[in-house]
Amino acid sequence: MDKMIFGRYYPGGSFIHRLDPRLKLIINIIFIVLIFLIKHWYDYLILGGVVLAGVLLSGVSLRFFLRGLRPMLWLILFTVGLQLFFTSGQHVYWQWGVLSISQEGLINATYIALRFLLIIFMSTLLTLTTQPLAIADGMEYLMRPLKVVHFPVNDVALMLSIALRFVPKLMDETTKIMNAQRARGVDFNNGSLIKRVKALIPLLIPLMMSSLDIATDLTTAMISRGYRDGEGRTRYRILKWRRQDTWTLVTFVIIAIVAVL
Amino acid sequence: MKAINSHSKSNTNNIALPAIIAGLYVAISLVLAPLSFGAVQLRFAEMFNHLAAFNKRYIYALILGCLIVNMFSPLGIIDVVVGTLGTAIGTTLTYLLTRKATKNLTRYIIATLCQIPGVFLVALELTIINKIPFLLTFGSVLVGELLSMAVGAVIIQLLTTRIDFVNGRRKS
Repeated sequence: MDKMIFGRYYPGGSFIHRLDPRLKLIINIIFIVLIFLIKHWYDYLILGGVVLAGVLLSGVSLRFFLRGLRPMLWLILFTVGLQLFFTSGQHVYWQWGVLSISQEGLINATYIALRFLLIIFMSTLLTLTTQPLAIADGMEYLMRPLKVVHFPVNDVALMLSIALRFVPKLMDETTKIMNAQRARGVDFNNGSLIKRVKALIPLLIPLMMSSLDIATDLTTAMISRGYRDGEGRTRYRILKWRRQDTWTLVTFVIIAIVAVL
Repeated sequence: MKAINSHSKSNTNNIALPAIIAGLYVAISLVLAPLSFGAVQLRFAEMFNHLAAFNKRYIYALILGCLIVNMFSPLGIIDVVVGTLGTAIGTTLTYLLTRKATKNLTRYIIATLCQIPGVFLVALELTIINKIPFLLTFGSVLVGELLSMAVGAVIIQLLTTRIDFVNGRRKS
């Protein structure tokens, strides 16, 4: 299993790494709500400062954050372009047919670009400094209130852990079968749509079969170890809320209130 | 004793199988890059959405798979909430509406149409974040989704010759 670490986790022991995953999730949620509430340029400055502080404290090189931007780059450029050229305003600097650059367009485009940048950096900060399993644990904790509506939180949490645990194994399995079929002459990357879809069949049938086998084995293993249901299970990884988590939350909430007012 | 064992076996299989299928959804999303035709994207992992038409337990598989994939998307929490909610609505609708369906083709068509509310949510999300006109986003996401689901239906149908999705085992 050479892809044991999937996702974007960057191992480290910084202050941000050591924060409770629940706290990081909560801060992420509040942050996104804030992004949509703020209106002034100095509010963006404050939130930008928060993100910058997080990036510096995490000890992860800025390169990794910029990599998170790459998949969104075209969407960002497209959006900014649309705002820049199609916003009509009073102070027009440049005009050519329906295209025009106005003061309002410039301001809108800048705000939207900043909004994207801040959201992406903040969520990258979460996934770079928190292991997938820790994020899952945090999510399970935050889902607990759903028990009231009879949502099977325990079972879903167990499924989430199993799924995360098996992703690297299944990715390995996928590449292995792809290589085996390539050796037999299957071409996954070229040809027409129909050809490519056809090429997937000899990959997916063995992959599905082995997944079903894994699930059957897992069921047997769970039953022989006496698994009944999710209720009342003890846990191996226990989340610990520390004093530094409380202080981080208090500081962040104060900054949030200042930004909104 | 035998009765208890068989009961807990099906119960436990209802945890293990969706969990592994969720893992497979993530693995396929990560290994098979989407085919892009301009703004329209063909995502192969979407074909798993058809599975909800075969058995209720795949609903969890899809919701969790979607949640994990979105956990690593650049927009993070927003995508997790919106994407997962869309999948939850789509798969639940698929399961409820296909209960009386007997033909696989009917199942695929219903499953494909049931993805529209999810697409609506995603388009709404993008419109709110970047203020692109709603119809533009909705159109391009919808075409991609319908294409992915149509291709997915063909693949799933070919897989049904070897795999019994209703009971979650191989056909021999």
